[in-house]
Amino acid sequence: MASRKKSLLKVIILGDSSVGKTSLMNQYVNKRFSNQYKATIGADFLTKEVVVDDRVVTMQIWDTAGQERFQSLGVAFYRGADCCVLVFDVTAPNTFKNLDSWRDEFLIQASPRDPEHFPFVVLGNKVDLENRAVSQKRAQQWCQLKNDIPYFETSAKEGINVEYAFQTIAKNALAQEAEVELYNEFPDQIRLNADRNNRPRNADNCQC
Amino acid sequence: MSSSGQTGFLFFFLDSVEYKERLIASVKKEVKQLMEEAVTRKFVHEESGSVTSLCAAVEACLSQGLRRRALGLFKTSSTTALLHKVAKHCPEAAYISRKVQDIENTDPNKRSSSSSDSTNKPPILKKNSSNSVTTVSGPPAQPTVKYLWIRLALYEKRLAKIIEHLVTNATRYYERDSLVADPDYGSILSSLLVGPCALDYSRAKTPDHYWTDPHADELVQRHRISSGNPTPPTCRRPILNFKRSLHTSSEEASTGSFKSSTSVTAKDYVESLHQNSRVTLLYGKNNILVLPKDVSEQMPGYLSIHQTAQSLTVKWTPNQLMNGYTECEVTDKSSYWAYALNINVDEIVYVHCHQIRGEDTGGTIIFVGQDGVQHPPILFPEGGHMAAFLSCLETGLLPHGQLDPPLWSTRGIGKIFPWPAKGRRRLLSSVLETNEDHPIDYVFRVVNKGNHADFLATHQIMETGRTSPRRTQLSSCSTNESSDCSSKSMSLDQSLPDTPQVGANQTASIALVCSTMRRQIISRAFYGWLAYCRHLSTVRTHLIGLVNGRITPEAGAEGGLTKERWESLNADGVVSDDKEVYRLVYYGGVEHEIRKEVWPYLLGHYSFGSTPEERHELDEAARHYYETTMGEWLAVEAIVRQRDKEKTAHAVAKLSSESGSGGDKTKGVDVDAEMENDVFEDNDFSDISDPVDYDVEKKEEVPAEEMKKPTRANKSSTDSGNVPDEDIKNNEDGQDDNDAEMNPEEIPKEKDNDAEMRNVSNQNAINGIELELKENCFGENDGVAAATTTGGKENVSNKSSPTTSSYETVGNEFIDTNDMNNGERLNNMKLPEFQSVDDIQMELTEYEDDAGATSAQGMDHDEQHLQQFTASSPRASVIVTKASIDVANFDKEEEEDEKTAVMSPVKEEANGNALDALQEPKSACVSPASSNGGVYSCQLLENFGLNLHRIEKDVQRCDRNYWYFANENLDKLRNVICTYIWEHLDIGYMQGMCDLVAPLLVIFDDESLSYSCFCHLMERMIQNFPSGSAMDMHFSNMRSLIQILDSELYDLMHAHGDYTHFYFCYRWFLLDFKRELVYADVFSTWEVIWAAKYTASSHFVLFLALALLETYRDIILSNSMDFTDVIKFFNEMAERHNTASVLKLARSLVLQLQTIIENK
Repeated sequence: MASRKKSLLKVIILGDSSVGKTSLMNQYVNKRFSNQYKATIGADFLTKEVVVDDRVVTMQIWDTAGQERFQSLGVAFYRGADCCVLVFDVTAPNTFKNLDSWRDEFLIQASPRDPEHFPFVVLGNKVDLENRAVSQKRAQQWCQLKNDIPYFETSAKEGINVEYAFQTIAKNALAQEAEVELYNEFPDQIRLNADRNNRPRNADNCQC
Repeated sequence: MSSSGQTGFLFFFLDSVEYKERLIASVKKEVKQLMEEAVTRKFVHEESGSVTSLCAAVEACLSQGLRRRALGLFKTSSTTALLHKVAKHCPEAAYISRKVQDIENTDPNKRSSSSSDSTNKPPILKKNSSNSVTTVSGPPAQPTVKYLWIRLALYEKRLAKIIEHLVTNATRYYERDSLVADPDYGSILSSLLVGPCALDYSRAKTPDHYWTDPHADELVQRHRISSGNPTPPTCRRPILNFKRSLHTSSEEASTGSFKSSTSVTAKDYVESLHQNSRVTLLYGKNNILVLPKDVSEQMPGYLSIHQTAQSLTVKWTPNQLMNGYTECEVTDKSSYWAYALNINVDEIVYVHCHQIRGEDTGGTIIFVGQDGVQHPPILFPEGGHMAAFLSCLETGLLPHGQLDPPLWSTRGIGKIFPWPAKGRRRLLSSVLETNEDHPIDYVFRVVNKGNHADFLATHQIMETGRTSPRRTQLSSCSTNESSDCSSKSMSLDQSLPDTPQVGANQTASIALVCSTMRRQIISRAFYGWLAYCRHLSTVRTHLIGLVNGRITPEAGAEGGLTKERWESLNADGVVSDDKEVYRLVYYGGVEHEIRKEVWPYLLGHYSFGSTPEERHELDEAARHYYETTMGEWLAVEAIVRQRDKEKTAHAVAKLSSESGSGGDKTKGVDVDAEMENDVFEDNDFSDISDPVDYDVEKKEEVPAEEMKKPTRANKSSTDSGNVPDEDIKNNEDGQDDNDAEMNPEEIPKEKDNDAEMRNVSNQNAINGIELELKENCFGENDGVAAATTTGGKENVSNKSSPTTSSYETVGNEFIDTNDMNNGERLNNMKLPEFQSVDDIQMELTEYEDDAGATSAQGMDHDEQHLQQFTASSPRASVIVTKASIDVANFDKEEEEDEKTAVMSPVKEEANGNALDALQEPKSACVSPASSNGGVYSCQLLENFGLNLHRIEKDVQRCDRNYWYFANENLDKLRNVICTYIWEHLDIGYMQGMCDLVAPLLVIFDDESLSYSCFCHLMERMIQNFPSGSAMDMHFSNMRSLIQILDSELYDLMHAHGDYTHFYFCYRWFLLDFKRELVYADVFSTWEVIWAAKYTASSHFVLFLALALLETYRDIILSNSMDFTDVIKFFNEMAERHNTASVLKLARSLVLQLQTIIENK
């Protein structure tokens, strides 16, 4: 079955303020780290072309404001997301704790078709820092509990694991596409073969 | 791939069929992929992989079974030679062939230099994507362009026609069993390619932007080049075009910036025949015959009814224009466009139906427009198609319109119009009925129920796109309004006979027609006027609040408020002419040097007409207030810090007890941190803690630093040491050491911070005394309360001699926080030994001095002792006191040894135990108060702590690349915000506040003045934050304004994913454009906003936002930007705007709106 593929993947990055969402996005897209980013207000996005399974897709990565009060604005931005990236700061336990509420909030606001299997990815950022406070084990445990969310330890500053993490994000988002398609059969599968066999000539005239 | 074709005929027949099937399947797959790509993006990029693979698939099909030998096509293995061959007979092929030759003849090296026809992509693109902005710099020539001619033909949208030609003439070029010659596959192939040929292939891009949309700069640049006009587009274009929506103006609109071209029209047309999100297909039937004008014979075509929000359209498209039409030889199809019908039902007045009675021969329908012109007859085949068509038409007219008489009459015996069912017909008297052999005619009138009138009357006019005529420009040459009026006028004429062309008495009928026309003309004029008035009244009621009734004239104010002018206005130190100040600022801004003086007036801190003395008093009062408030929250901050640290300590303790055996990590630091985390997981109020390492360090270094420079004012040594204090101090110090070792670079910063705190505390001295008295009383009354003790102590520090006070403030606060635990412990123990607060104070101060003398590290040791001690025998304070002395002595010896020591597990354990012994530390939230003498609730502490952490995170990130904030000024920023939040804890800190304080601080460079002005500023701005409602109001006002002032842009926004929610303006309004502009521009913009309130509009931000949109409107329009494009564009344009021209435009927009409202 030829899977319906779409070449634009919308990825939303969520997480507490100053966990490094903007930095991760920029490190991935522009391969740059800057310590000059300001707190994100509203939303911004960057796009990047990635090749996943020999297919070129455009990733549209949305960076959002970290303060939960601004989530009311989220609906406009979350809609149509293909993947959600939850980011926390491994040196700040609270940012890890809040992943739960970020995840829930996202599911409420974006209301994806299949919330159970909606692809999330968790990134534990700032692993380059010394004073780590959330152990890998702990983060992994949480991810396992939540339907086996893939977990990556990244450093936007050093560029550690960022590329790999986003590749996985793209892959999972695409896989989700295929799966969703299996669930609801789109009516747009025009059987060209059938046409040809049954009434090949009429195919030209039928405009309806 | 191409060579495979040559061997195609060697295959067995079955294999060959299978092979062909595979070929065609691959084409199908690629077409599908491409079309999907086209759906999800606005256009398909030329270099997209799917284009290449489609070309490859087509090439494979074409080379299969090609008669190379017979055609003499030996030289190449590709099909390019075939193209040149075909070119003789097929104009499309000839065109492409010429193109290919052009490209091939051009030396690749020369390509880059020439900008026009020699490069392969840009010229093509210029031609096709008519509404795109062209570039001068094309991409460098591709080294090898695969499938060049197929590609070109696809971009030029001629591939399908060429293939079609090949298929129809297959015998000439192909083996009999080839795919192209196959009767089925051949036609499938050509029809498959029709879709891809209808797509737009991407607009020119620089190599860097092959995959992403061009950067905003690039767009602006391109626009500048293409428009050939360096000035902002808005200057040369009248914005005031609201009248468009009232009068027919489609020509004007379409000539605006859309250069409509036939290719786009054709593409849109074909696309419009399909159902999509905006258009519902109500009816579709192929092979309906129509006799177009100037054509001798009837032509078959596709008849359809489309319904959009505004209109109902009947379309008929000749088969020749439809996909896959292959019957006749390829001729110039463009002539067929003239035959296509495109009828807006709004303009139709009568529907005539003709049918031969007695025979089920189908029927004929003729539409008669309001101008009396008949559209070509539409002939339906038999089988009830006409009835089906009419009922679909009637459905489409509902709910606002209907056919009169209705198809299914309510009177009589039911169905009036059941054609197939013979005999049971009942016709209206107005309908001519003749005998059986003659045609039966029915005439229906299209009645509009005047919904537009209702519609205009409601204020919903702002919410929908109804007033926009241009959206229907392709399908209709008149606007909604005009059709609206006419249909209404028709409905006025209900009493008139329905069939003017049928009448026994000719004279009477002519008179009737004349009177009808007269009425029509009058009523149309009337309704036009009425609609205009209603529209204006809507505008007025909605937007009148947005501008001031009287706008101060500009005359002579362009120069702004210069220093000279200010001095003349401010001659005797009293500025009384506020109007003149506002006017000057509004039109010309303030000279930078005097901003510091003028801004307090503009923000409402100083009132106009105040004397210098009054202002001085005001400043003093403000400063005093600010410092007092700051003292309050600094005390709480210390508690918060302490609590954070306790948690850390607790965590560490837990860690060491847990991992005493396990030792899972390598570095000690690591282990600590992890344990800490675990503890937080379990901890209920971890919300406050948020212990980013920075915070922890900061907190702990404050006391550490202070301790290291003892002022030695109170140097008495009493023996009655204080358990709790010691305890805490030790605790603290231990941490300090640890942190200091890890991040020594943090220390200098803290020093600055401390210095400031010191000042504050000095200034609070008087305050402190009063409070202290209170405290003391309290303390004496209640011997138990260690809390009180510390509270009192704090005050002492505030009031005591200037030299010591600073040290003590910090130290005391620090102790305060510690006391939460200890105080509690004391409570539990009920120690009566503490007779008076004074004693304790003495002890404390003394102790601190000691501590200052000894190094912080030494305390670690103390602590261990103490804690072990207290833990084991938590009863006698006397003993503890002694212990403290011992420890103090002991310290000095141990000092050196301990200096580098990391906290030892033993100590941690002890610490942890001690804490555990305390039971729930939460109950300690009855914590010592500072200057307000009360007790802070746990909730308050948590709340403030949470805000504090947030503030710190944002302050650190706020404009740190701006020179002013490169140093300790960031701390000033923090202080101002913290003070504001302390006073507005119910609101709490929200991201963006930092950005609002920063420019004020830069101008004033004075914390208390910045704070006061910020409070004034926030009176308006707070409403924009999520807790307020102003943001939604801004958005809806923007919607209204843009509809009135630039409906074309509104239509685009509405049509491209409808981003008329204006969320992309969020940051603009939240921060008063602070992030959109560079600092210098922020200053000049802000002061204009403030002054505008009194001169032009208290919603000037709206006009600024509009001005920003208008500045780039042509770029937005020409790129058909959707929501994401616009967000990206403006984010990328941040800090690149030409502020002066934006401000100017904004001011002129205010005037425009005022003109509209006043209806001059």
